Parts: sequence; C-alpha cells; structure tokens
Amino acid sequence: METQIVRNEDLVWRRIEDEIVVIGNDGLAVHMLNKSAAYIWEQCDGTKSPDEIAVGLCEHFEVTPEEARADVQATIDKLEGMGLMHKTEGNPVQ
Amino acid sequence: MLSHWRADSTGNSSSSKIQLQIGDVCCSVTCDDEEVLGNLGQLYFDFLSDQPVDFSIDLHIVQRFSSHCIAEASSLGNIIRSGSNILVAYWLTDNESANQNHTVSCTLERHQFNPHFDFKIMNLLLPLSYYEACRTRYSNGCGPMLVHSCGIIRHGRLMMFSGPSDTGKTTIAKLCGNEHGQVINDEMLLVSGPDKDSDALMVQGVPIIGGVAQRLNVSAPLACVLLLKQSDRTALNRLNRTEAYLQFMRQVIAPRDFEGRTKRAMLSQVAEFSDMVTNVVPFYELEFTLNQRALWKTINKLEKSLGREGS
Repeated sequence: METQIVRNEDLVWRRIEDEIVVIGNDGLAVHMLNKSAAYIWEQCDGTKSPDEIAVGLCEHFEVTPEEARADVQATIDKLEGMGLMHKTEGNPVQ
Repeated sequence: MLSHWRADSTGNSSSSKIQLQIGDVCCSVTCDDEEVLGNLGQLYFDFLSDQPVDFSIDLHIVQRFSSHCIAEASSLGNIIRSGSNILVAYWLTDNESANQNHTVSCTLERHQFNPHFDFKIMNLLLPLSYYEACRTRYSNGCGPMLVHSCGIIRHGRLMMFSGPSDTGKTTIAKLCGNEHGQVINDEMLLVSGPDKDSDALMVQGVPIIGGVAQRLNVSAPLACVLLLKQSDRTALNRLNRTEAYLQFMRQVIAPRDFEGRTKRAMLSQVAEFSDMVTNVVPFYELEFTLNQRALWKTINKLEKSLGREGS
C-alpha cells in the first residue's frame, strides 16, 4: 500500500496570489506557505504519494527530481510536525 | 454615492422597545427599564428604524444576578464574560411561527448601564444579534461583515482606518474633527461585498459605541484601507496582497452568534471575506503621530494618487 498525504481538513486555508495562508484552529496562528510549499499543500488531497507530488513539482518548478523529492519530503515532514497534515495508508484513487 | 437613512419621527418604537437598523438587518431592543431604553434610543438615534424586525433582544435588568440564573445559563454555556466578570446571561428563543423573528433574552446587572460605562455591553450584544440574524437572512449565512475600524468619508468615498485596540482609531477620528472629513464611526464598520450593479465595496456606519460621539447611519463606497501603526513619524507604505490579508483578517469581527457556529465555519467566512476585500481595494500601512497637519497632508496626497488610479 502506498502512503498518501492528506491536509488537515479542519483547517481553513486560502491561496493569496503565489502563497497559501493556513489559519490555525485557534484562529490566531497563521502559517504562510511559499510558492513551492503551496504547490505541495494543494497536491496533498489524499490521492497522491510523495513521489507523485515530487514528479509534479519537477514539472512546475525548475528543479531536479532529487531536489523535488527532498523538498517534498522536508515540507511534508515539517507540515506534519505542525499538525497541518498527516499520512494515510491506502491505494491511490484511480 | 452617499446615502443617508433616518427613521421618521413616528419611527420605530413603542414606549418599551426601540428598533435599530444595522445594514439590512433590523434588530429590536426591548427592556423592562424605561430609563435604560430611553438612553439607548438617544445613543442610537441615527439608527432608529421602522423596518420589519429580523431579530429581537429582550433586556432584563437586575440589581444582581441570582445564583439560580447563573447556574442555569452556565449549564447551557449561555454566559458572556469579560475576564472573570459575568456580563450577560442569555437564552435564545426559537419562535415556532415561521413569520416571527428569533429573540434572545438577556439578563444584565444594572451597573453595566451606568453612564460612565458608556453602554458598551451593547457593543457585544449587537454584533452577536446581527450575525444571528444573518444566519436566516442570507441563504448561506454569509452577509456583510463587521470590521474593527474607523471610517471617514472624504469627497464621497470612505477611508477605512483599521487596527486593533489602542492603535489610534479614535485618535484619527479626533484628528479629523469636522474639518478633514465626516467620521461615521471610530470603532466598527459594516462592509458589503460588490453587488451586481457596482464593483465597489460599500461601507456603512453601525450602532456601535466608540470613543467619539459620532455614530452615523450613512454609507459610502470604500476607497482604501489604512492599517494603523503607532510610530514617531508620519509615513504611508503600500502593502502587497499577502501582507494586507494577514493584517486585515485579524480586524474582521468573527461571525459569532448566540447559537454558536463552528469555529471552522467562522474562520472560513472571515478568510473568504478578507480575500474579497484585499482583492478589491488598495491597502496601506499608515504610521502617524499627533501631528494633524502631517497626517492630512499624507492622506490628501494618497487621495490624489487614488484618483489617478481610478481614472
């Protein structure tokens, strides 16, 4: 089974130009995601694995596959640590 | 275009109630204390209304809360506090008839209507009532929203000076006086999204008590938003959209109501509204001092540049 990454759907977020603003559950904490983190965030809808997201990152930004995989993993780890997303085990939706 | 609405002299009220207009919403206030009601009528004179009532506040004034009242309200979570002080114990009535509006019955202690307290308890109850009425008045529960701000109308358009408490909204209103514009409120404003006939956001005065005497039930299109920053100089900095969004959304009064929307629903509405406003009007950070001349010289210059942008 592949690991998919899912945004915390209890959180309110909006894309503001190139960035994404995520509002914490307390309504006070605000997390700003830059361009690449915003792309990764939007891809984390529970249907894609980190490797699939990295492929998309390569296509959208001028990075090597290795850089993309590292960036995706680092971003996911950080956002998961902040409680903004979590991993699930399951087959990708076809 | 400026619009100014005023109730006629036969207006709203019987001897035991007043009706107040907050944007499109009409809220009636009844009270068993005629002196309190009379004072409220004077305070909110510009907002007296004879429109059909959307929501009713029934004030019951007591010398002291009874322990039974507090216990009953507490068990339902129906207490409004300021720190450790209980301000209001309330009960929401769902009227069975579809034609009748909802009513909230509020018990308050008499000392809160001491004139020196300036009736600020109403600053808590009226936004709650407004948003409660919006739940049924607007199909998705979302309507115009209240923003912590001072509004000054100049040359037919409104400049919004926004910021948390103690950033200078009342100071700006006092520095304006009658000379530099028309202050419609120095504490809170109601902002409506663009309608089908216009791209402009409209801003309306509301019956919320601030630090100055003016509370006007007038509306005007929003020219720009100036986010206030205390400083030792007068300066104006244009904000990018993200900066504007982050600061502005903290000044939007979250749509809390008596029944209690979910936090997510409230935050979602604030986020969507803030996105809309920051997309439509320019935002600036205004640093200012008590130098009245420097302030209005800066504002005049800004208006000229906005005039050029709009042409």
